[in-house]
Formats: sequence, structure tokens, C-alpha cells
Amino acid sequence: MLEVAGLSAGYQGSDVLHDVSFHVDAGETVMIIGSNGAGKTTLFRALCGLLPSTSGRVTFRGEDVTGIPVQRIVGLGMAFVPAERYLFPRMTVQENLALGAYPELPDRETSTMVLDLFPRLEERRRQRAGTMSGGEQQMLAVGRALMSRPRLLVLDEPTTGLAPKLAREAYQALEVLRGGGMTILVAEQQVPLALAISDRGYVLENGAITLDGTSEELTADPRVRSAYLGVT
Amino acid sequence: MSESFTAAHGTSLVGGAEAHTARSWPNLLATIAATGAALALVPLWVGSSRVLTGVAVLGLAFGCYAIAFNLIFGSTGQLFLCVGALAGVGGYGAAILADQVGLPIVASILLATLAASLIGGLLSWVAVRRSLGVIFTGIVTLIFALSFENLVLGVSSVTGGDAGNPIAAGAETFLRARIPPYYVMLGLVLLFLLVHALLRRSYIGWAFRALRDDEVAAELAGVNVTRYRVYAALAGSGMLGLAGATYSFTAGRVNPTTFGFAQVDVVVIVMLAFGGIGTLLGPILGAVVFTVIDELLIELGQLRLVAYGALIIVLFLWIRRGLIPTLRSLLGGGDDPASRPDTTPGRAVSTGPD
Amino acid sequence: MTASILDGIVLGLQFGVLASGLTLVYGLGGVLNLAYGQMAVISALVVLLTMDAGVPAVPAALLGLLAGGLLGWLFDATILRPVYRRKGEARVLLSLLLTLGVAFIVDGYLNWAYPLRGLSLRIGGDAVEILGVRMRMGSLAASGITLVVLAVLFYVFRYTRLGRAIRSVIENEQGAKLVGIDPPQMLRLILILSGVLAAVVAVTRSMVAPVNVQAGFSLTVLGLIVTVVGGLGSITGAFLAGLVLGIINSIAAAYIGTFLSLIILLVAAGFTILIRPAGLLGVRE
Repeated sequence: MLEVAGLSAGYQGSDVLHDVSFHVDAGETVMIIGSNGAGKTTLFRALCGLLPSTSGRVTFRGEDVTGIPVQRIVGLGMAFVPAERYLFPRMTVQENLALGAYPELPDRETSTMVLDLFPRLEERRRQRAGTMSGGEQQMLAVGRALMSRPRLLVLDEPTTGLAPKLAREAYQALEVLRGGGMTILVAEQQVPLALAISDRGYVLENGAITLDGTSEELTADPRVRSAYLGVT
Repeated sequence: MSESFTAAHGTSLVGGAEAHTARSWPNLLATIAATGAALALVPLWVGSSRVLTGVAVLGLAFGCYAIAFNLIFGSTGQLFLCVGALAGVGGYGAAILADQVGLPIVASILLATLAASLIGGLLSWVAVRRSLGVIFTGIVTLIFALSFENLVLGVSSVTGGDAGNPIAAGAETFLRARIPPYYVMLGLVLLFLLVHALLRRSYIGWAFRALRDDEVAAELAGVNVTRYRVYAALAGSGMLGLAGATYSFTAGRVNPTTFGFAQVDVVVIVMLAFGGIGTLLGPILGAVVFTVIDELLIELGQLRLVAYGALIIVLFLWIRRGLIPTLRSLLGGGDDPASRPDTTPGRAVSTGPD
Repeated sequence: MTASILDGIVLGLQFGVLASGLTLVYGLGGVLNLAYGQMAVISALVVLLTMDAGVPAVPAALLGLLAGGLLGWLFDATILRPVYRRKGEARVLLSLLLTLGVAFIVDGYLNWAYPLRGLSLRIGGDAVEILGVRMRMGSLAASGITLVVLAVLFYVFRYTRLGRAIRSVIENEQGAKLVGIDPPQMLRLILILSGVLAAVVAVTRSMVAPVNVQAGFSLTVLGLIVTVVGGLGSITGAFLAGLVLGIINSIAAAYIGTFLSLIILLVAAGFTILIRPAGLLGVRE
């Protein structure tokens, strides 16, 4: 569904990402793991069009979408949940979700699905997004992304700033989505959580992919075990 | 403000400060003397016409205003949109003190200068304490300027309202003669240039540049940002008051339009942007060029505003650094870092994930 | 006193509409339009010239509104292009300077080409008594129109999809992009709207007092004062601040004259900046 070939991107003239290539097939859940500063957020931004890439190609469902600005890319069936979330703080949960469906009006079925997935959002429908806790804001960010009924859900470090219990809850929600057939690409620092729900993964180090494989392969790999799973 | 400068020039506090003056004292003094000599010749040319001499005197007054604004804005990045009003505090203040309170002229001028200085210093202090930033400092000073204009128009019994008041004091002195006022104003111009040059070369000048470039770094280097900003405002505002007061006595009357925002501030900004923000002679160059242009366009009346408007647009879109820095780099002299106007709108540069 | 208050309400509603245009443009685009007053004046002039040519008042007024919208579009398409390329403080500064230049160009030209002309719309009918004060039909019509305009604005922004989309850009531009909203497109819409609002102010003001060709800068200053007090980016703020300042202005002018009462408004704006820079209900600062 998503093919990335030779993607490079960076800031102020110097590249952070070097020649990154990977793919995500329909129905899969793929993770991109790496430590702080590896380039995950840069990758995320280059993918969604918030940051222009210096070279490479991104193909989504057969269409070349390289360089398309973010406001157009989301209309093609991708939805993004950035680490910073970028919610609308003075607007209510309801309004934030409704905007997720833009330019359509929110439809009943999708709203119900999202609110079932995140019951706490249902309780706080009329609460302003800015007054919610970190965990609730994360749920809202994911919910908002889901309102557009995307084919591919892309998340950047969804556990940022979340306590362990909430982080697990977030991944439980992703597991549910995965069970429902959603294609998911997630960039994550907390490797065990991502491993648990992913089919395949890529390891990003210093802006380049150094390793890839199925979840089983990666779990067994000694380098992954020592660097990311805390096993010596 | 700071990231646009450092991003564009790759240096910050240390680099910029060290390389600052290509000019030595003798060089600076010679420049100022040469400017003085050149300007001193002007009456030979226009001296026979009272009107033209008056225009020349006004031109020098604007030169003074521009040097003062250069000090406040160019040196410490404080956008004071109340240049006219501060000069007006000097002008109206001195006139009222001399005519209505009965003080001698010199005392009136000095007191009015002090008042202007203190008001400017207060505005600066408030702006720094409330961390106002360029835009809001501009708005707050603009509010002061408009309030002053309306105050003058409103309290017409004292100020003469929109018709203004003639100034009786000093009517028979040399101040009201035809040529001497020119040299009086020229004296002020040279004095102000000297002050500017002095400050640039001193520790104070270094402190100014440091805090203009990067406030945080300056604080870390031991520069008390509040204090130096206020110093610059006190000095610059005092200069404005002095120039305004002196000019009023030579003109023989005070009008609201003499010190209005549209008539003074806008013109001074254009003059400085043209001549070069932060340079020594930029204000003078701007003042001379624009006084001449304005006089040449006098027949156009209201249409002159069209010309000024177009000029503002062109200046701030294209020749962003002003004439002197542009000329300097064109002539291959390399730039004088002290004149780099980081205070003009800079380019946006992406600075990494944020 | 009651007369002053009622006059103040009429004035205040106009302040509200005036400020709405400015505040939306700033809230959404981070742009300060100092030529706003001139936009209103041009619209007034269009109405005036059209009526001179024999067109009746209502279609002429509508043409004026159209002219306003067109001006807004023009601003977005031309003078604001270089402004959009900058971000943050640099953008505000450049917008300030460039629109000031435009304001001078327009002011200079209009005052030279149409000196001393002003738009005055006479609304027929006898004066009506409200709370013991005789209110002219012009004032009542002006209040009615501005009230309706403000109500429509409020409704659209609160309850419609488009209004939500526009608000989202004010709230978080990145987030808006992530849901498929195109900020430049929204900004264009808002600029067109601000032009229309400026025209509405010109037309309704002319029902109460003549709108002269030189009124440009004073309109801009008034708009800015109300915007600063009410909060950058908030229509409710513009409305509330407009009403309050309109009433204060009206009462003060009756006792201490127009010039000094303007100082009160200016000082109110100054204090707002010092105490709460975002304004009463503001979003962006």
C-alpha cells in the first residue's frame, strides 16, 4: 500500500534521513524503531508532507505522492497522528473529532466506532481539548485521525509523555484497529510495545535503516535485543 | 529577531562584537567633520530664500530625529513609533515653559529635553519589564504617540489645538533669524553623530549590539539587558526632545502636524531604512535625500503620500539593508557587521523539529 | 446620559464589526492590515460614485460590499504574497510595513482625486423614541444591520463546517493541515470577508455620520484599539470590546470632547497590552 524508496530529508541544508526505503502492505502493522534522534520524527514529517524531502519517492496505493503537501495527502486515504498531536485546544472533543472528517461531515457510524474504542472520549465530549490529560489527548489525536476513515494510519511515537499504563492502553486500542483490518505504520521508541502488535519492523539508526525483518526475526536478533530490549 | 540574524550570518555575540569596527577614532572624527563641512556649505546655495533655508533647517531636524531613532531602534532593537511625539514633548514642552511659565529659553529647552528623555526611558523600562517584544513595543509606543497627538489637539487652551501656538520667547534673537538656526541645528546634528560614534566604540556600544543580537547570550555574558535598553531609550529620547525643542524655537511656532506620527515617524523610518539602519551616516544621508525629494515633489501636494507609500513598499521588499550597507558591499568593502540590520524582517529558516 | 449610552451602542456595534475583520485576519494569518480603514473608505467611495451615477442606494451599497470583498481578495493575491513567505514576528512586521505603504498610497491618491468628499446615506422615516431618547432611523438601521452581521458571523463560526475549519486554523495551523484543511485557502476567504466587513462598517457608519475620504487612518486606529482589547482572533472579544469601548467613547466625548475621549480608548488598549497582551478573549499573542 505504501512504498518509500530512497527518501532523504533534513533541515537547513543538511540531511537527517539518508536514503530510507521501506514498504507497508495492506492489512499489515509495520513498526519503525529507533532511539532518540534516530530520525523517526523527521521520517514522519517527510512522509506526511510537513517537511519537504530532498530526494526519494513515496508511492501510496500506486500513486506517486512525493512532495504533495500534507493538506492534500490526507485526502488520499492516509491519516497521521504526530508526536505533538496538534490538537485544537479551545475546541471541544466533539469539534476536534468532527474536524477529523473534513471536508465531510462526521458520519454516525465512524463516530460511534471511535467513541466505542475510546469510551473516555465519549464521557468528555463537550470538554475542551486543551484541558484534558496527556492520555486523553493522545486518544483524541488517534480518534481524530480515524474520523476520515483512512486506509493507512501513521503514528509517530504515540506513547510520548504517557504513563506506562496509558501507553499500554494506547497499544491495546491499536491492536483492536489492527484486528479490524487497519493498515498501521508506527514509529516508536518503546520497542516492546510496538513489537507486540507489529507484523514487521525496520530499525532506524542515524537516519538510515540498518535492519529489517518480521517481528520474530527482530525479537531474536541479538543487536535488537541488546540495544532496544535491554537484554545483555 | 535573534535566529534570523544568526541564521543569516552564522555568528552570534562573540564573532559579531569582535569584528565590529573597521573604523578608528581619527577615521570617525574625520567622517563627522567632513559631513559637517559639507553640510555647512548648504546656506551658500539656499541662504537667500527664507523658505528654502527653513526647509533645510527642518531637514537637519529630521536628521537629528533619525540619528536618535537609529540609536534606539538600530542599536537596541526597540521599535519606538513615537519619535514625533517625543520630539513634540520637547517642542511643546519648551514652548509652554518659555511662554506660559516664563522660564528662560535655555532652561525651557533643558527641562523639556529631560521630560522627553524620562518618558522615553519609562516606555522602554515598561516594555522590557513586560517582555513586550518588537511588535507590542511598537503598538504601545504608537499608543503613546497617538495619545500625545490627541492630547495636544484636545487641551487647546494650553496648546492652541489644531492651529497651534506662536512662540513669543526668543522672537528677537538669532534663533529666529534666517541663517543662524541652520548652524544651530547643524551643531546638534554633529553633536548627535559624535554621541553615536562614542557609544559605538565604547563598552556601552558593545553591550547594545550584544543585546540586539541575542538577548539570552548577552545576559549570560553579563550585560544587564534592562539597563542598557533603558539607557539607549533615555539617550535617544533626550536627543529627540532636544531636537524638537530647538527646532520649535527656530520655527517660531508649534503645530500638532509638526510632530505627528504620519509626518515624522513614518518619514524617519523611511529615511533610516534608505540610509541604512545601524550605520553612522545613514540617518544623515536619508534625511538629506528625502528633504530634497520632498521639496522637489512639493507641487504634488497629497500625491506625495503616494510616492512615500510606494517607497516604503519598495524599500522593505527589496533594499532591505539600506543604501550605505548596500553600497558598501557593492563597492567590495565587505560589510561592517555593526551595521547589519537584523531588525528588518528576516527570512524564515527552518530550525529543526519543533 | 441615556442618549450617550444608546449612541454608544450604535457606535459599539460598528466597532465590533470593524474589529472582527482585523482580528480574524490577525488570528488566522498573523498579519496586521494597516490599510483596513482605507479599504472601508474605498468601498464608501464606490457607493458614492455609483449613487452619483444615478444608481439607487441599495444596489449601490451592495456594490460597495462587493468592492470590499474584491479588495480583500486583491490584498491576498498581491501585497500579502511576500508577507506569507515569512513566519511569526517577521511576518507581522512586514505586513505592518507593506500595508502601511499601501495605506499611504491609497490615502494620498484619494485625497488628491476626491478631496473632501464623503458618503452619507439618508435613511428616511421619523425618529423613533427609545427609552425616552429620540433615535434617528439611520442609527436604528445601522444598529440593525450590524447586529445581524455579527449574529451571522457568530453562527457561522460556531456551528458550521466552514466556521469550524477556519477556527481550527487559528487554533493550530499544523493540526488543521493534518485534517486536510488548506490554510492559505482559508486565509483568502478571511481576507475577502474582512473586506466585506470593512464595507459594511463604511455603509452603516454613513447612515449615522458622513464617512469622509480622509477617514482611513482613524478607522484603522479604532479597529486596532478594539482588536487589541477584545483579543486577537476572537469575534466574541471584538463584539464585547466594541460595545464597551463604544459606550465609553460616547459618554466620554459628551463630557471631555472627541480628542480626549480617544485618549481614554488608547490608554485602555495600552493597559490591555501591559496586563494581558492576548486581549480579553484572545488566542494568538
